[in-house]
Amino acid sequence: MNPNTAWLRKTVALAILIGVWEACADLGYFDPLYMPAPSKVAVALFQLFAQGTIWPHLIATFSAALGGLVLGLIVGTVLGAVAALTPLVGELLAPVMISLNAVPRVVLAPLFVIWFGIGVGSKVALAFILVAVLTFFTVFTGIRDVDRRLVERVITLGGGRGALLREVYGPSVIAWILGNLKVAVGFAFTGAVVGEFVAATKGLGYLLSFAQSSYNAALMLALVVLIMGFVLLLFGLTGLLERRLLRWRG
Amino acid sequence: MLRVDSLALDYGATPVLEGASLEVPSGKFVSLVGPSGSGKSSLLRAVIGLQPPLAGTIETDIGAGDIGMLFQDDALLPWRTAEQNVALGLKLKGIAAGTAVASARQWITRLGLYGLSERFPRELSGGQRKRVALAQVLAREPQLILMDEPFASLDAIVRARVTQDLVRLVELRGISVLLVTHDLEEALALSDVVYLLSHGPRARVSGRYEVSLPRPRDVIKARSHPDFAPLLQRLWNDLSREVGERAA
Repeated sequence: MNPNTAWLRKTVALAILIGVWEACADLGYFDPLYMPAPSKVAVALFQLFAQGTIWPHLIATFSAALGGLVLGLIVGTVLGAVAALTPLVGELLAPVMISLNAVPRVVLAPLFVIWFGIGVGSKVALAFILVAVLTFFTVFTGIRDVDRRLVERVITLGGGRGALLREVYGPSVIAWILGNLKVAVGFAFTGAVVGEFVAATKGLGYLLSFAQSSYNAALMLALVVLIMGFVLLLFGLTGLLERRLLRWRG
Repeated sequence: MLRVDSLALDYGATPVLEGASLEVPSGKFVSLVGPSGSGKSSLLRAVIGLQPPLAGTIETDIGAGDIGMLFQDDALLPWRTAEQNVALGLKLKGIAAGTAVASARQWITRLGLYGLSERFPRELSGGQRKRVALAQVLAREPQLILMDEPFASLDAIVRARVTQDLVRLVELRGISVLLVTHDLEEALALSDVVYLLSHGPRARVSGRYEVSLPRPRDVIKARSHPDFAPLLQRLWNDLSREVGERAA
């Protein structure tokens, strides 16, 4: 198969899927209450933008997700690096992070609402904890598994701790973080949307909750499509960043 | 001058090397051969400071910054270009960035890598990567180079070319070399002195061989010199005896 036309094959497959779905809905095979036709979902999506009601919700979700993402990346990287390079800190911090990693972190959402209220704070906190734990382990295990040959190379060239951080650990950490950035973006949006789903006055999660309570499957699917679209857009930007910064990988 | 005296090194519970002594005089090319597991690489690691000795002494009048090491793997930083890798060695020696880059460019050209400075290691062939690693070490103008089978992974032709370039530069600049290799022919073709290590554990130097082939030396033609074959036969017999004694 020609790899250059993969996008065409994928587009055709998606078009066929949507076409079959539309036909089944029109022919009455699907109950519109549970599974509305793609055209109805498209109309619901269009109305969200045409009426302008979507913007405050989009801004709320994006702010929470990006806030949690940035904070999680920074804190996770710093803690992971310190834990990997300082045995005592690693010994104390690793069990805490392992415990946090062992439970589904979204269960913390109700607790964060109690702590930070129903505003953006609790959503940022949930997105943050999801991203920070992931980033911590990425950096912690990454630094511990860093290629010893490179470390010894820099040492034999006369490099000290600073040179090792700058020339070996730093670039390695950046590579691992960028390699996991797509997962982190997905986690950040999961945190923001789940947080809004639990308790909020705005945001895509809040709209999803509203659509569920009003049995509006078309709105719900429209929101799912919207979230997928934005996350895929961010994945694309992440991919561009990865290709640019990790050019040496090819 | 490098002098290793009664060196003992461990690799776990048992000493891999015990009572090993050798000398690398200034401007001389010295090789260390021996059976696998005799602690050849460990000895180099101890000299460069990567492995602390259990006992014995390592003396040298050469400063740490003037000792270079070539590893079995080229160990180039994958995120740095060929030029940046070479320049890094100079910057870590305290040379200003501008001078380091200019010198790196010269060394890259000198080692036949013209036009490849901006390439990342993955974009270079095995031989080209070895040349970059060699440039990284030579650019620092070392007085002593330690080599741990740096050319083992190269095919015969590329290996001969890279080693010939190395010998030419080492002879020209009077650099001392301590080479670890499994290849007896290579050891004799390149060296002034070859040391043989006995089988490990508790390996020690069991033989010293003077190689009085003329310099400047052609690493291929040296093999057809009348003195070469008898010396190789002697070294081969001694090594076989070491391996045989162990097997027996």
